[in-house]
Amino acid sequence: MNDQTSVKLRLNNSEIWGGLIGLALGGFVIWQGVKLKLGTINDPGSGYVLFYTGILMCVFAVSIIISAIAEGGPTLASRWDNVSWSKPLLVIVCLTAFSFALEPLGFLLSSIPLMLLLLRLIDPVRWTLAIPIAALVPLGMWWVLKRLLLIQLPSGLFGIG
Amino acid sequence: MDTLVNVAHGFGVALLPINLLYCFIGVFIGTLVGVLPGIGPISAMSLLLPVTLSGTPESGIIMMAGIYYGSMYGGSTTSILVNIPGEAASVVTCIDGHQMAKQGRAGPALGISAFGSFIAGTFSLVALMLVAPRLANIAIAFGPAEYFSLMVLGLIVLTFLTQGSMPKALLMACIGVVLGLIGLDSITAQPRLTFGRMELIDGIGLVPVVMGLFGVAEVLLNTEQAIKRDIMNAKITQLLPNKADWQASAGPVARGTLLGFLLGILPGGGAVVASFASYALEKRLSKTPEHFGHGAIEGVAGPESANNAAAGGAFIPLMTLGIPPNVVMALLLGAFVIHGLQPGPLLITQNPGLFWGIVASMYIGNVMLLILNLPLIGMWVQLLKLPYNILFPLIILFTILGVYCSSNNVFDVYVMIAFGIIGYFMRKLGFEPAPLVLAFVLGPMMENNLRKSLILSQGDLWTFVQRPISAACLTLALVLLMAPLLPALRKKRELVALDEGA
Repeated sequence: MNDQTSVKLRLNNSEIWGGLIGLALGGFVIWQGVKLKLGTINDPGSGYVLFYTGILMCVFAVSIIISAIAEGGPTLASRWDNVSWSKPLLVIVCLTAFSFALEPLGFLLSSIPLMLLLLRLIDPVRWTLAIPIAALVPLGMWWVLKRLLLIQLPSGLFGIG
Repeated sequence: MDTLVNVAHGFGVALLPINLLYCFIGVFIGTLVGVLPGIGPISAMSLLLPVTLSGTPESGIIMMAGIYYGSMYGGSTTSILVNIPGEAASVVTCIDGHQMAKQGRAGPALGISAFGSFIAGTFSLVALMLVAPRLANIAIAFGPAEYFSLMVLGLIVLTFLTQGSMPKALLMACIGVVLGLIGLDSITAQPRLTFGRMELIDGIGLVPVVMGLFGVAEVLLNTEQAIKRDIMNAKITQLLPNKADWQASAGPVARGTLLGFLLGILPGGGAVVASFASYALEKRLSKTPEHFGHGAIEGVAGPESANNAAAGGAFIPLMTLGIPPNVVMALLLGAFVIHGLQPGPLLITQNPGLFWGIVASMYIGNVMLLILNLPLIGMWVQLLKLPYNILFPLIILFTILGVYCSSNNVFDVYVMIAFGIIGYFMRKLGFEPAPLVLAFVLGPMMENNLRKSLILSQGDLWTFVQRPISAACLTLALVLLMAPLLPALRKKRELVALDEGA
């Protein structure tokens, strides 16, 4: 692999970061397991399985880190080589904004802008097609769910939807 | 004789107009998601899980099953015509199927794929009918130790077959177990990992996790690269394979069917590994292995039969043991649970109408699929021309609605978006989500059975080794865990590794 880190212990080795995140999560799970009480082997407590799963997580994470140090690994940047990283980032931003807007604005007022943004920002669809799709699909879905299936979608502070 | 009476009873259930309608909707949606790259059976089934609530359990589960085996049929169309697998089990079909299409033989490739799938699907159903009731009788004797060990084996098999390093897959499985344990402890009723949030008391829902990790994350991955579509514009003619095609395909269809069915039964296995294994087997047995990769019809017939047979075989562990062997079956388990049903050894005796109705509906669904996939092939080709930049916002909207409708809770939409983002970064760093999802479903069951075994045996860990079935499962799991340490076995594992667990 030509994008492998040449020096073994380099911080931009993505495998090391993957392992470190796993190790941190494993440590957290062990701590939670202990907090919940392990019980005894005759009568395992609520934290028993969590505790041992946390230990296994740490073992696997350490194994990933050791393998990354011994064999090297792709750099973080190389994971996004030859791809347009800005597009998924834009989708993530749109989805995050949508999740903040959903409850206060309601389904219709938040999903129509979301659709329009996704149709226009990522791989632009022409306006004459984007606007009808962005408006009609959420409206159609809202109508089917609310009128036909009697499912209440969030209507937000303005009570629209 | 009993089996025939039961099958007749099953057809009585499956032929009810409402069940026929649900079966048709299921196989139609299955073909649709199989044809469309970027959305697979897992996303579609999660999306439609809430819809199953509106009807009887039979109707809902018939529809969900239809989506699964329908997607196996549809996936081959995209592989052959566009060289993009519609779903993971059709990856291998691209190799020779698309070459056949380029040589002007798209018709026979689609034809043998549909007929092979039909033959394999029908065989697996007959085998399901014969094997499941007998296995259910044996499974009644299973205790918590056997269940625990069998689930451990299922998880290890899946991690063994997952692409990338095994420690990564095992780490994912552990995270899945932890996520599955969020909520009230089923034995002590103590809240775990809820951080004071009322929404987490019942745990995290399967639908938002699956939709996030498979639906949203898949969209994020697809948007970062332009999907090139090399659609065959020539009119597809002569769908019926000729005599020479049949002669070349008969062996691969028979072997693929048998191999696929056996691999489908194994916990952790499934349609994807069956299709890869069948391709490897046919290439090895062929007198002209050099034709593989250049339009050999055996390279289409074998894997397509294998993935359909595996789809049928995968129902056996779910229906008889209550253990989902893969992520798709985990979703089907979710559909059972929504209706207050628990698949397992007693399902066939307590709910014969449901079990035999589902089996009979699968026969009917296979016939429907043959009609949908051969005479109506032109319609699916037109659908392939739908650009991804229009398709992906629709997928996102449907996932949001699907998740919201499954619980009527905005919190689940947040969970889905969070898991979508996590899933994207996980995949970028080489961590596959399939072991996480299967462990998420099996985690609470595993914990329950482990604690029950320990309480019953008064803390004696030998209970897992003294019981023969449990010991066999744990031994096999240990062998698989050790396998990557041996270079020869590591190479074999890399050959069959999959990118999805379904």
